[in-house]
Order: sequence, then C-alpha cells, then structure tokens
Amino acid sequence: MLWVDKYRPRTLDKVIVHDDIASNLKKLVSEQDCPHLLFYGPPGSGKKTLIMALLKQMFGPGAEKVKMENKAWKIDAGSRTIELELTTLSSTHHVELNPSDAGFQDRYIVQEIIKEMAKNRPIDTKGKKGFKVLVLNEVDKLSREAQHSLRRTMEKYSASCRLILCCNSSSKVTEAVRSRCLNIRVNAPTNDQIVKVLEFIGKKEGLQLPAGFAARIANHSNRSLRRAVLAFETCKVQQYPFTVDQGIPPLDWEQYVSEIASDIINEQSPKRLFLVRGKLYELLVNCIPPQIILKKLLSELLKKLDSELKHEICHWAAYYEHRMCLGQKAIFHIEAFVAKFMSIYKGFLIATFG
Amino acid sequence: MGKKRTLVVLSSSDEDEKGRRTGSSSRPRSAASSKSSRRGGSSRKLNVGRSRARSCSQLEEAVKFDKLSEDFGECLRDLHTVSGLKCTDMKEIWVEKYKPHSFAELAVHKKKVDEVKGWLEEKLMTSEVVGFGNSALLITGQAGVGKSAALQVISSQLGAELCEWTTPTPTLWGEHVHSRRSGRYYMSKLDEFEIFAEKVGKYCLLHPSCNGGSRKPVIFLIDDLPVTNGRIAFARLNKCLTTLVRSTWVPTVILITEYHKTESVESSSNFLEELQSSLEKAGAHKVVFNPLTVNSIKKTLFRICEEEKCDVTGNWIDHIARTSGGDIRHAITSLQYFCLRPTDGFSLATSTLPAIQSKTSVYKHNSVSSPSLAGTEDLDAPPFLPFGFGRDETINLFHALGKFLHNKRETDDSCALEQHSLVLQEKLSRSPLKMDAPEVVLSQAHGQARKVADFLHENVLDFISGEAIDDAWLVTSYLCDADLLLDNASHPTRFHMMSEIYESENLAQVVAASVATRGVLFGNSHPSPSRWHTIRSPRLWQIEQLSWHNKNQMASERFMDSNPCNLYHSSHVTMEYGSTMKWLRSKNFEVPHTCQKDISRNDNGVFDFDWMDQEKDETSEEIEEEEIEDW
Repeated sequence: MLWVDKYRPRTLDKVIVHDDIASNLKKLVSEQDCPHLLFYGPPGSGKKTLIMALLKQMFGPGAEKVKMENKAWKIDAGSRTIELELTTLSSTHHVELNPSDAGFQDRYIVQEIIKEMAKNRPIDTKGKKGFKVLVLNEVDKLSREAQHSLRRTMEKYSASCRLILCCNSSSKVTEAVRSRCLNIRVNAPTNDQIVKVLEFIGKKEGLQLPAGFAARIANHSNRSLRRAVLAFETCKVQQYPFTVDQGIPPLDWEQYVSEIASDIINEQSPKRLFLVRGKLYELLVNCIPPQIILKKLLSELLKKLDSELKHEICHWAAYYEHRMCLGQKAIFHIEAFVAKFMSIYKGFLIATFG
Repeated sequence: MGKKRTLVVLSSSDEDEKGRRTGSSSRPRSAASSKSSRRGGSSRKLNVGRSRARSCSQLEEAVKFDKLSEDFGECLRDLHTVSGLKCTDMKEIWVEKYKPHSFAELAVHKKKVDEVKGWLEEKLMTSEVVGFGNSALLITGQAGVGKSAALQVISSQLGAELCEWTTPTPTLWGEHVHSRRSGRYYMSKLDEFEIFAEKVGKYCLLHPSCNGGSRKPVIFLIDDLPVTNGRIAFARLNKCLTTLVRSTWVPTVILITEYHKTESVESSSNFLEELQSSLEKAGAHKVVFNPLTVNSIKKTLFRICEEEKCDVTGNWIDHIARTSGGDIRHAITSLQYFCLRPTDGFSLATSTLPAIQSKTSVYKHNSVSSPSLAGTEDLDAPPFLPFGFGRDETINLFHALGKFLHNKRETDDSCALEQHSLVLQEKLSRSPLKMDAPEVVLSQAHGQARKVADFLHENVLDFISGEAIDDAWLVTSYLCDADLLLDNASHPTRFHMMSEIYESENLAQVVAASVATRGVLFGNSHPSPSRWHTIRSPRLWQIEQLSWHNKNQMASERFMDSNPCNLYHSSHVTMEYGSTMKWLRSKNFEVPHTCQKDISRNDNGVFDFDWMDQEKDETSEEIEEEEIEDW
C-alpha cells in the first residue's frame, strides 16, 4: 500500500493538516443536522480525506465497506432513451461518482441517480427514515445544465438525500448551487504543514530524516500534500539512508513534456511537428489531461524563452486552451499551439540571427 | 394440414422453376407451354422420388393441383406478355433491341469471355463423369458490364439451356390478404429461394441429361439473389448458397453485382464481399468482370448508330462512352436519349464540344470528373450543362482527400482572372485550384465533416514542404476552427427545438467540413513536391479508445491496490499515482535493496517509457490495418 493511503487519516480526530475544519465538521455532524456541503480547494489539499472521514463519522465503519461497479443507466429523456455507463463507488450509506465522466449528458445522470437514491432510502435502527449521502466529484466540470438540474433535485429530495460536492474551484459552480450548500474551503497546506506530515510519516516508518530534506520535498511538491507524500516514498525507494542533497525524481510525464519542449525549441518544421504530435498522443494515451499538458508545456517553453516573446506565447497558449475547452478533440488545439509557437519562434530566430 | 402445405410449396416452387426456365423473354410462348407440360411430368417424378409411400390418390391430387397452378401461371404470363406487347408498339428500347447475339457483338473483354466459356465447356463435357463440387462459377462485376449478356451468348453458342432463377414477384399486401383467405400462407422470398436451392441440390440426380434424355445440357443461372436485410437473413442466404455450391452437379453460375464502395453506406456491400469469399471457399470458381473500356463501349455505340441510321458525331459518342463509367447499359440508354432529339443536340454540339474536350484533357488524370460540374472553377468555359447523361459519379473518400492534400493548382497565373478580381495581398492570394470546388468534391465523396477533419489532420503535415512552419500553423489553426464548429454541432442540449437542432447541426457540419478543407487548401501554400504518400487512417481514433481503456484500467488498479473508499479524480490517478506506481514497481523488481545504481536509474525510467511506446505502436498498427479494411 502506498504511504498516501496508509497514512491517510481515517477519522476526523486524526486529521493533522486541517484540524480546525475537522473539528467544525465533527460538531456539525454531532448535531444531527447536516446540510449539503461543498468542499473546494486546490488538488492535494485533503478534500477527499475530509469527506471520507466525515462519512465515517456520520455512519460509522459501514461507510468504509464500499464496492466499485460500472453501472449502466438507462434514462428516459422524453423521446429517446439514453444509455450511459458510469463507475460508481457505493456503500449502504453513500454513493460516490464522477458525473462529469458522462460528458455532456451529465445532467441526466445527476437527476437519475438522486431520484433512485431517494426511492430506496435506508431505515435506521430507530425506524426513522435516514438519509443517504451522494458524493459528487469534479462538480466544476459539470455542464451548466447539469448544475441547474442539480439545483432543483437538491431541493426536491433534500429530505432523503444529502449532497457532498467536491471541486477545485468554486467559481465554476453556479451561484444557485453554492448558496444551497455549506461552503468549506480547504486550503493548500503550507510548507510547514507538509513538513509536519512528512516528519510524522518518517517517524512511523522509522526513518532518519536529514535536516532540511523534508522541507525540500515540501518545496518541490508545489503545496500538494499528495505529491509530497508520493515523492517522499519514491525518494525512500530510490535511496534510503537519505542524503542531504538527494535529488527528487520528477514524474515521468513531466519529464516527457520537457523533452517535447526541447524538441520544439531545437527544430521548427512540419516534420518536427509531426514528431511532437506522436509524443503528445503518447501522453494522451496515458490519460494525462490535455489542459495540464498544455500548461506544463507552456511553463517548460517559457523557461527557455527570451523575455520579449513570453507575452505573445502566453497569449496564444491562453487562446488555444480556451478553444480546447470549447472544442472536442484536444490534440487539434494543442498542435495548433505548438505550430504557432514554432512559427513565432522561427520568425524570432531569423529576425535576430539572420 | 401439414401435407397440404407441402403440396402447395412443391407446386409453387415448381411453378417458379418453370417460369425461370423461359430465360430470355424473347422466347416463343409455345415452347414455354410445351416445356411446362414436360415439367409437370418431371415434377410427378420428383414426388415419386421423394416419398414412395405416398398414396396414389394423394399423388393424383397433387398432379391436379399442379395442373391448376400451371394454368394459372400460364394466365399470368399471358397477362404479362400482353402488357409487354403494348410496349413494343412504341419504339423499342435499344438495350433490349441490341442485345448481343454473338461473341463479336459482346463488348466484354475477350479474355474474360474465353475464361467463362472454357470453364463452362469443361463442365458440360465432364459433368456426367465427375461427382460433386467445383461445378459452380461466380461472376462478379459492376452493374452493366454485361455479365448476364455474356452468359446468355455463351450458353446459346454452346447449345446449352439456361435455367434462370428469377426472384419471384414480391407479394403485395392485398394479394397476401387474398391468398390467406384461400389458405395459402405467406412465404418470404428468401424461403422460396432456400427451397429452390435445396431442390436443385437434391434432385440434380434426376436431371434429364443424366437419364439419357435427348435434352440439351443445362446451366443454372442465379442472377438475382434475394434481398437480405440484416445479419440473420444474410447468414441464411450465405449458408444456402454455399451448400448449393458444394453439392451441385449441374454447372451453376452465380452473378453478383458489385456496388461502388462509397455508394452503399449501409453494410450490404460488406455482406456481398463476405458472400463472395465464402462461396470461393466452398469451391466456386471466380471471374471478375471489370468495367468496360471506353473503346469497347464506343464500338458498340457506333454499331448501334449504324443500324439505327442516326448520325451522331464521334465526339459525342466518345463523350457518352467516357461518362458512362464502364456501364454499357447506361451508355446505350443515353445514346437513345440523345438520339431522341438530334436537332437540339447538334446545335449544342457544335458550340460546346471544344470546351468539353479541353476540360476532359485537363481532368484526364482523375478519370471520374463529371463535366457538368467542371465549369464551376473554370471561368473561361461557358456555364453550360450538356445533357443529363453521364452518371453522377461518386468518388472515393480517399480520392477526395488526395485532391485536398496534394493541392494541385494552376501553375501559370491566368491574367484574365487577375484583372477583374479584387486585389489581394501577396500572402493571401493563391492561384486557382485544379479541381472542383471543395464542397462539390466533398459531396461527391459523401464526406462527413468529422471524418474528413480527422483524416486531414492526420495526413496534412506530410504534404507541407519541409521549411514552411507558418503554413503548418495556418493549416492547424483552420483545423482547430473546424473542430470548434463540429463541437457546437454535437451539443444538442444547447438548443431547445428539435428541428432547430437538426438544422443548425447540419449547417455547422457543412461549414466545418468546408472550413477544414478550404483551410487545408489555403494554408498549404508551399505544398511539398508531389510524390507517393500513403494516406493513414487517423491515429487519433485508436488513441481515444486506448486512453479510455487505460483510464478505466488505471482507476480499477488504483482501487485494487489501495482499497480505501475513494473515487479519485481520474487526472490525479493518471498523473501522480500512475507514474509513481510505475516507478516503484520497476524499482522493486529490478533493484530490491541496492542504493548504488542511482545513476542508471534515470535511464531506466526513460527506457521503461520508451519500451511502452514501442509496444503501443505495434498494437496501434494492428488496429490501423483493421480499420483500413473496414473502410
């Protein structure tokens, strides 16, 4: 088991980083009236950990007995039926899913699942009708229609069903949904907090941490706790008695992106563009999200660029990133960006060096 | 009840067979009736052969029934020929009138005719000695290349009788209602064909030439296969035909008309191909008739002109032959149509022939240009549509893509064009295209916007010359626009009215296709010198599949590994866990506890990745091949 999982706090009491939020949540649940919740914050800040711990607090250990299934949904939408397949994770008390996986048909999924959950709600020991919890991930990626339908179903079934929404940025969640939830912002942990966690893990594992090593990992992790812990573990495998100046292995896809960047810098021609396309495909096959590829590629390119070009390149990156979100096939847009960069860069080279 | 039904079946199929026996419609009716009586006798024989236990009275009943149905059949045929006669009062159709009667008149290539003839001769000579198998011939070819005509000529030359299976006339609903009242059940045409094939297979032992009759040798001809709809029906037909091919003694010829690949959007062409291959496997000899050459069509047309005494210039004949696409039936019909109003034709002919000539010379390299559309780009030529003749040509999707990608343009700037066009900037002006408008080409190729855009995206970089990165950017940016338009088309939720959706969708599709193709044509201002390129199928498609698959796999792996109760953001799994896991695993396998190798480790990681690339490339190539076959 990875350390990330091994040392994930299971209960609200054991939470190290956001202990204030945890204690608030505990109070909230103990008062027996849980509103809808919206967790938001950057990746690797502990949203899911908090949610899982919260569920355990609400339902006891039963919430941890989950099964994963690929469920096919048949949805009757007026004139036609839509068939969708979605992975869900469910226990007797909650269901978790990524509705945005359903693409632009996400609104049907949201309604349908909530309806179904409302139909068979569990009865607790006192014979009182309990409620189920629906955890929706990546709410910010839901389409506007889905968010609207979410709003209505939220009100309609609020007696039988609680929603816990989770997303990175609350700005993409509609005002209406946000106002119906208790918003909980989960900050990215500070470097000190990360160091604290790393030291905690080190102690549990019985490792000798040289001074400043944890701080370096924390620095490198870009304030994502998950990355920090993963990097820590790789470092441990790489070379155990840690040395002070030990390198932190980069992620392979990041390395690959920087390779692509140097390819682009070295030569600007259609043939090279084709080669780059092949490499981009490779990344896409490995399911690296195109937005992140573009972002990383931009930052890698900017490192090697003259400052007078930076502004223009950033402009084009933003332009194509926007179009990528609107469009269908990401590769078209990434490639257009690469071609544009090549074209600008080549022009620049010719202008400066003749 | 059951018995009765079998009787009906027998008689009806017998009737069919008899009807088929008449072969060409020009046969005198008396012969048919005499044959029918003979046929009645043989059918009695069949009945005896099948079940000797059947009682005499039943047999008599059967014969009576047969007679009855024969009479009925005669009546029907009378009716039919009467209507036919009416037709012949008017001017006869030339296709019928000038049916070939000798080898010389046949427009089919001599070698093919000889091949078929040789095969048939051999079979007819040896059929009495040799047993099962290998007595089936499969002839394939486009419509109107003279498959049936060739066979008829050959069989008449060989002195053989052609027994033809013609599909029974479809049952109308009214007929069905009527006949159901009289106790006859509806029978699908496929069923009838199956029974026919079964009978042919079974009773060829009894066929007259074997038991010493003075009759001519028989060739079975299956020209018109029953229409099959869907997998199951097709499988039945396939099975029934293959067993027929395996078991038949009598030389059997099966004609299959091939359709143009792009013409049939549905899978029927696939079915036909499958049928062909399975028949070949069953031992049928296959002969492919190619489309007729222009010269042989011209020869036939000249002959007809001579006999009809209509004065048509050679140019027109040449033109008709060229536009017929190797379909002689079509060529003759258009000739007749042309001769109907010779006066119109001549006045036009003199004025416009040169223009057409010049155009055909321009388009010689792509043999399928249709002259009625050629005038769109050429401003010199008068905007004139010659006649309705010439088939509406469809072109292959690959052909269209080739046109777009190769981007052939006029080399000399025509000054006439420059004068009355807007003055464009140097970098925006392009010399005129050497092809029809891209939209026209697309519509000929049945190009769907998404598919076209994907194909162009995959292949266009090969066609841009080595240094022109600006062009590459322009092209990719246009493709990116097209993608944007296509995405708008596929979001029906943004609209409310159904009709509105379809309309806008359609428009967006068309516009996207247009933007993609024109973008490619415009952007690629420095096309690389033309040489042989293969057009790849878009790798994007299998990339998408693979990534979907990988995503699910990673997610489930992650779930198995770490069994806590969390559904992860897929991106986190792939970005962070995925690579870390890979890393850890490779470490654990290779260097369990050594700390020395941290220099080679870096290479190791990269190597791992490369190796994955290779593997994926291999699999992707396989998939690609499959997809190309699908096309």
